[in-house]
Amino acid sequence: MTEVMIVQDGQLLRSIDVQAGKRTDMVLLVMPGVSCDIKLDVRLVGEGAEANVYGAYVCGGDEKVKIAVDMYHDVPHCNSRQLFKGIAGGVSKVDFYGKIIVAQDAQRTEAYQENHNILLTDGAKVDTKPQLEIYADDVKCSHGATIGRLNEEEQFYMRSRGISLEDAKVLQMISFIAPVLENIEDHDERETIAADFENAIRNIVKQL
Amino acid sequence: MSKDKEILDSIADKEYEHGFVTDVEQEFIPKGLNEDIIRLISAKKDEPEWMLEFRLEAFRRWQKMPMPKWAHLDIPEIDFQDIIYYAAPKKDEDRPKEIDPELEKTFDKLGIPLHERAALAGVAVDAVFDSVSVKTTFRAALEEKGIIFCAFSEAVREHPDLVRRYLASVVPVGDNFYSALNSAVFSDGSFVYIPKGVRCPMELSSYFRINAAGTGQFERTLIVADEGSYVSYMEGCTAPMRDENQLHAAVVEIIVEKDAEVKYSTVQNWYPGDAQGKGGIFNFVTKRGICKGAGSHLSWTQVETGSAITWKYPSTILKGDNSSSEFYSVAVTNNFQQADTGTKMIHIGRNTRSRIISKGISAGRSQNSYRGLVKMLPGADNARNYSQCDSLLIGDKCGAHTFPYIENANKTAVVEHEATTSKISEDQLFYCNQRGIGPEEAVGLIVNGYAREVLSKLPMEFAVEAQKLLQVSLEGSVG
Repeated sequence: MTEVMIVQDGQLLRSIDVQAGKRTDMVLLVMPGVSCDIKLDVRLVGEGAEANVYGAYVCGGDEKVKIAVDMYHDVPHCNSRQLFKGIAGGVSKVDFYGKIIVAQDAQRTEAYQENHNILLTDGAKVDTKPQLEIYADDVKCSHGATIGRLNEEEQFYMRSRGISLEDAKVLQMISFIAPVLENIEDHDERETIAADFENAIRNIVKQL
Repeated sequence: MSKDKEILDSIADKEYEHGFVTDVEQEFIPKGLNEDIIRLISAKKDEPEWMLEFRLEAFRRWQKMPMPKWAHLDIPEIDFQDIIYYAAPKKDEDRPKEIDPELEKTFDKLGIPLHERAALAGVAVDAVFDSVSVKTTFRAALEEKGIIFCAFSEAVREHPDLVRRYLASVVPVGDNFYSALNSAVFSDGSFVYIPKGVRCPMELSSYFRINAAGTGQFERTLIVADEGSYVSYMEGCTAPMRDENQLHAAVVEIIVEKDAEVKYSTVQNWYPGDAQGKGGIFNFVTKRGICKGAGSHLSWTQVETGSAITWKYPSTILKGDNSSSEFYSVAVTNNFQQADTGTKMIHIGRNTRSRIISKGISAGRSQNSYRGLVKMLPGADNARNYSQCDSLLIGDKCGAHTFPYIENANKTAVVEHEATTSKISEDQLFYCNQRGIGPEEAVGLIVNGYAREVLSKLPMEFAVEAQKLLQVSLEGSVG
C-alpha cells in the first residue's frame, strides 16, 4: 500500500529499512504555504527489495522547502525509483538533494532518480543537487534534473483554441505534477488531493 | 565469467611510456617554503618589484588558509616544507642561448620537437621543463601578426602592462588554497595575447615536463583573446615514474573579449602511480575563463588519463550577453587513481549558453567523480544549459560518482542535467567477440566509441594521441 504524506510545517525525519523481497511506496506532498525540511533515508537491506518515492511541491509565497533523500542500496538485486516535481513562485526557495549510494557488492542494482522544477517568478529560487555514488559495476543508475519555465508554445496552442492564458497555465502545472499524484492508489483520496492542488495552483496563477 | 575476471584484472597493468628521467645538470633552491624562498624564486626570474609583492601577499594569505577537504578524494597529508619549489636545468655559461642537447632529446622523445623545421606543421610550442620554459617555437612568425606567445616569466619582464592588467583577474589570489599557493611560488607557464581581430594562424601549445625529484611544479598560464580574435591552445604534460608523490598545482586564466573565441584543450598524462597505487602526481589545478564581452566563446576539452589524484574544475564565467561556453571531458582512472573533476558554468549575462559533456571511465580500484556547478544568476535572462554526465565502470572494485550542483534564480533560464552510470554492456562485448574481436580490443573499441563525442572536439594533433592513450590506460584491465 502506498503511503501518502501531506507534509506539514517544520521538520520531517524518516528512516525506512526495506527488507528482502519487500516493497515500499511513498508519496510526499507539499502544499503552498508549507515551509518544511524533509530528510528521508531509505535503506534497501534485503535482496529483492524495492523502494519508490514520489514527491510534489508547490510554492507560491515565501515558503522554504528543503528535501533531502538518501537512497542506500546495500545489497544486490534491489530497485529504486524517485520522482520529485515542483513549482516555485513568489519568493519561495526550494532546495532539493537526492543521493543514490550503491555499495560495493550491490550488483544488479537499478536505481533511478528524477527532479524537475518550474520557476514562475524572478523572486523564486531553486537549487538542486542530484548525486550518484556508485561502488558496484553491474548497475543501471541514472538521475536527471531540470529547472525551467512553462512552455510558451503549449500556451499558444491552448490559447489559439479558446483557452484563457490563466487556464492554460493551470492546466500546464496540473499536468506537470500529475505523474506524482498518479501514484496515490486510493481513487477518492487521489481526486481530493488533485482538487486541492488545482485550487492552490489557480490561486498562484492569479497572483502572477 | 572467470575469463572476464582475468581480463578485468589485466587491464590494471598498464605501462607508462613517458616515465624516464633526463640526466641533466640542474640547479635547485633549498627545500621548504617561506618568504626568503619566494624572494629567491623571484630573484632567479629577475622579476620586478610588483611581482614579488604579489607573490608575498599571496603567500601571507595562503598561510591562513586550510586545505580543502570537500572533494571525494583521499589525499594523504602533504608536507609543504618538504618540497623544492624551483628547479631548472643549468645553462652552459659559454653558450647561454643554446638548449642542452639532452633536453632537446627529451622533448623529441616525448614527441615535441623544438626545432621549427622539424616541428609539427602548424603548431607552436612552449616547452616547460620543471620550473623554466626551455624554448618557445615560431615566436617570430607569430610576432608578425602581433601575437605574443612566450614564457610567462618573459611576459612579466617584457609586457608588464598586459600581465598586470589581467593577472589574477579571473582567479583571484585567495580563490582557493592551491591558487594562493600557486600565486606565491609559480614557476613558469605560457603567456598568450591575441590582438584585436587576429585569427591565430597556428595551434599554440604548451608542454609541461616534471623531471627533478622532490620538486613541485607550479604552472601559471594567462591567455588573453582581444576583440574578435581566435586561438586554439593545447596543453600536454608528463612526468617520470617515481615512488614519491609530486605536486603539480597550476593556475590557468583565460580572458575572452567581445566576439573572440578561445579553444583550450588538455591531454593530461602525468605519471599515475604504479599498479599498487604507489607514487604519481597530485594534480591540483585551478582553471577558469571569463567570457567578458558580448558574443564571446570559450570551449574546454580535456582528456584526463594520468595523475594519482586529480582535482580540477575548468570553469567559465559567462558575463557578456550572448556568450557561450562548452566543456567536454573524458576522465579515465585505473588502479588506485582518484579523480574529482568537472566544471562550473556561471551565467551572468543574458542569452548565455553552456553545454557540458562529461564521460568518466573507472577501472581497477579507482574512484572517479564528476563534480559540477551550473548557476543562473538573476540577470541571466533566457540563459540555457545542458549537461550530460555518463560514467562507465570496468570491474567491481572501482567507483563512479556524480555530484552536480544546479542553482537557478531566473525564471526564464532553463537548466537540464542528466547522468547515467553503467558497465560495458555484455551484448556489445558479445557482438564483438563473435566477430573475432578479442575482449581487450573490444573494450578499447567500445570505450573509444563512448568517448567519441569528446575526442572529436580535440585538435587533430591531439585526437590521435588521446585515442592511443585511452587504449593504453585501460590496457590489461578488461574483461
